[in-house]
Amino acid sequence: MTLTRPVADDRTVASTPSSPEVPATASRRAAVLCAGSLVVAGGAGAALLVAANRAAEWDTGQQFAFFWAGMLIFTLPAVFWLVRRGSGARLRVAVLTAYAGFTYLPKLLRTPDGPLYHDEFAHWRQAREILLDGRLFEQNPIVKVVGDFPGLHSSVAAVSGLTGVSIWHGALFVLILAHLLVVLGVAALAQEIWHDARIAAVATIIYSLNSSFLFFDTQFGYESLAIALLVWTLVALHRAMRGPAGRARLGWSAVTVMLSAATIATHHLTALGLLGVMLILCAVATARALRRINPRAVTWTAWGLTAAAAVLVVAYLAVVAPRTAGYLDPYLARALDQIAGMAGTGGGSRTLFRESVAPWWERYAAFGAQGFAGIAMATAAWRLRRRREGDAVSRNGALAMLVLGSLYFPAALLILTPSGAEGARRTWAFSYLGIALVVAPVVVWLLDRGRRWSGGVLLTVCAVVMVGNTAAGMNPSYRFPGPPVFGSDTRSSIPEVSAASAWLRSTQGRDLRIVADRYSGLIFGSFGGQQPVTGSVSFPTYELYLAQPGRDISPRLIEQLSSWRFTYLVVDRRMAREVPEIQIYFETNEPVPHSDRPAFTLGQLTKFDRTPWTIKIYDSGNIAIYRFDFASLQPGKASLQPGKAGR
Amino acid sequence: MTTVRLLAGICAALVVLSLGHRLPWLFAIVLLTALLALGELWLRALTGEAMPAIVRIGLATACGLVSLPLVAIGLHVAGVEIRPRAIVAGLGILVTVLGVIVLLRERAAGSPVDPRLPHTLVAVAVPGLLTLVAGFVALQAYGRLPHPPQPGYTSLALNGWATDIARPVAIPARGVHVPVRVSSAGMPTATQPLRVRVGTRLVSGRPLTVEPDATRSVDVFVPAPPDGCLHRIEISLGATSTVFYGRGPVVRGRPAC
Repeated sequence: MTLTRPVADDRTVASTPSSPEVPATASRRAAVLCAGSLVVAGGAGAALLVAANRAAEWDTGQQFAFFWAGMLIFTLPAVFWLVRRGSGARLRVAVLTAYAGFTYLPKLLRTPDGPLYHDEFAHWRQAREILLDGRLFEQNPIVKVVGDFPGLHSSVAAVSGLTGVSIWHGALFVLILAHLLVVLGVAALAQEIWHDARIAAVATIIYSLNSSFLFFDTQFGYESLAIALLVWTLVALHRAMRGPAGRARLGWSAVTVMLSAATIATHHLTALGLLGVMLILCAVATARALRRINPRAVTWTAWGLTAAAAVLVVAYLAVVAPRTAGYLDPYLARALDQIAGMAGTGGGSRTLFRESVAPWWERYAAFGAQGFAGIAMATAAWRLRRRREGDAVSRNGALAMLVLGSLYFPAALLILTPSGAEGARRTWAFSYLGIALVVAPVVVWLLDRGRRWSGGVLLTVCAVVMVGNTAAGMNPSYRFPGPPVFGSDTRSSIPEVSAASAWLRSTQGRDLRIVADRYSGLIFGSFGGQQPVTGSVSFPTYELYLAQPGRDISPRLIEQLSSWRFTYLVVDRRMAREVPEIQIYFETNEPVPHSDRPAFTLGQLTKFDRTPWTIKIYDSGNIAIYRFDFASLQPGKASLQPGKAGR
Repeated sequence: MTTVRLLAGICAALVVLSLGHRLPWLFAIVLLTALLALGELWLRALTGEAMPAIVRIGLATACGLVSLPLVAIGLHVAGVEIRPRAIVAGLGILVTVLGVIVLLRERAAGSPVDPRLPHTLVAVAVPGLLTLVAGFVALQAYGRLPHPPQPGYTSLALNGWATDIARPVAIPARGVHVPVRVSSAGMPTATQPLRVRVGTRLVSGRPLTVEPDATRSVDVFVPAPPDGCLHRIEISLGATSTVFYGRGPVVRGRPAC
């Protein structure tokens, strides 16, 4: 028989200075008022978000106004209930849960029934491959390292396989849980550091203002789950550092190691980010230990668990996912080159919001949000220096978060480079955690000590930062539906491309090696179940498209295609009529001229109609599929002159 | 909840999940409950101490969720294919191991019972359910509203035996019937010329009516090319076409290509 013992008052709950016991009747009345107001606000907000999507679909231009009205109509009352001094702990948990649910709604409405963002196709494919073949760690043709990090797609495949829901609904199951975990996790971490439920709620709201929160970290992508694991690993780490010596500390250390392992099996960058945060914590703990402020056990626990996480990360990247370094390295190297270029000649930079259809107020808010973040961090640093509160672990955590939050600003340099922008956006999800955790007490202090209107000013700042960061993090084609746009990851998928991929799969089977452009490759590689390649420096398949009619194709490329058993070529003729929205035809470092005119002529793309080594088996106007017949090529001669076969 | 009841609940959920899925969303709720309970088991096995309700709920959810990839990776290492029943078996083994650890630990110290936990669980579950309902209603409303039409297309593809054409076709003197697949979506009814060209020579042409949102197979007669040389053969319907290569019968007295 299992014995039970009543729980002791937890140390965190016991020390909540700004959460005095609220009388039961007042508490109940507040809960009813809160529930009523948020249900009404949530309903109105959801209706406005639907209206925003409708406006975007019909291109009325009102989508931005509807969207932000919908978001703010729920968010602002939710923030009010969270920061209100009289709100109880359970009410705050309930509001945070509702907040997590509501903030998932924009992404849910954007992609209700299938993958749409670039990485979503890769994960969707990977989950389906697991369900079909029952194997992990299969290479993914869309994002080549995705298969090495099976945390997310194996969870989704398991949910789908065990319950019978579709892969997409299985993904939503996991992602909504992960989103809720992020929200509750930031609150729990803030409570570990500040021991104040109100500060914890404010920290969660501030974190939710980061540019990735609404769209990027809610997508079917490995970071969406990994960020949640990172936050909860830090919660467990803080409890391990604080815990009494012996079994309890050992137990929390085991939880920390298990969650670190889950993080590395889910996403490379988040695992490296976690390691970075842990190292910052260790550095702060060591500096304080050297000044004899920190108990030794705290520092040793931090170092021990960081070493364990480092071993896991290094071992995983070296043994299980050795391709990761090669995958990440070019992005970093190019970004550094471009920064050097900007410093030297001013070249290599990108213009923010270039050709963006975002309204002027979103763009101004994007710049304003950075200003507010800078001011808030400076104030938080000043306050941390002046007020040395909390125990050793809390102080450690706060200082480490200050360092982490400060890293947000150097990333702004990377956002100005084409190659660094993607990486910069990803780091913001980590560094904003630091900002949220050190700025939250400043906000509560302002609310308590400031004038009566300070609440209104802070709500306005919150609205500006939410609008600005979201605008800076995601371009409108990711946020809203709309008419088809060639060269957009989210809008170039027209029914014609899906029909072509379905035809190829039904008549020729799956797992065929095909040559394609980036956008066709997404559809053929996911729904079509094929193995598309879109070109690289060592395998420049884009040369097939670039070759002028009547000119020879490189024999080396033909040899590669032939020996690696590539059998099909997909040609999207929109490449000759339109300029891709994101300025990429095949991959980021393609040797294709980019200007305001299409890089291809129709002749370049229809030349395969007249080369005997390409049999045109499918044509729907924009999309043509050719089967390679390399045996028709005479040795040493890669192409025949147009029309010769017809004579 | 006592550990024995927790174990019994997880085992019952795993049995239900192994029965096959007839009610997907009900099974999703069963799976969620099982994962939360499994996460709670992880916490009891590893920490065995009291913690704030929000931390317990969050960590239990995280630990339960990561059990799925943990089991999947375990199956992969053991060389077992990842199938629903194998996952259920893997989860069963995990539950057994954790259950034994927890029961051994609790023989000495008992398990912490947090009276705040049920209320906090309700505080998470109720708004969670409400936002799910709001999301579902919003999706239904959005789905039912009229949407702009998607761009249409007409496609032409080789069909039947012709889908396997991988090299030049040897066409007999009597010619050959090539099946093609004509498909249309989102386009009005249209009549377009169906033409056959051998080399640069137009050998046949007739109008073909393409019905909207329909797929049909059409046999197209391709006459034999004049000689055994390689000839380009194009079947076109309006602006779309298929192209393959063929050789006619070798005629005595004519020079080889």
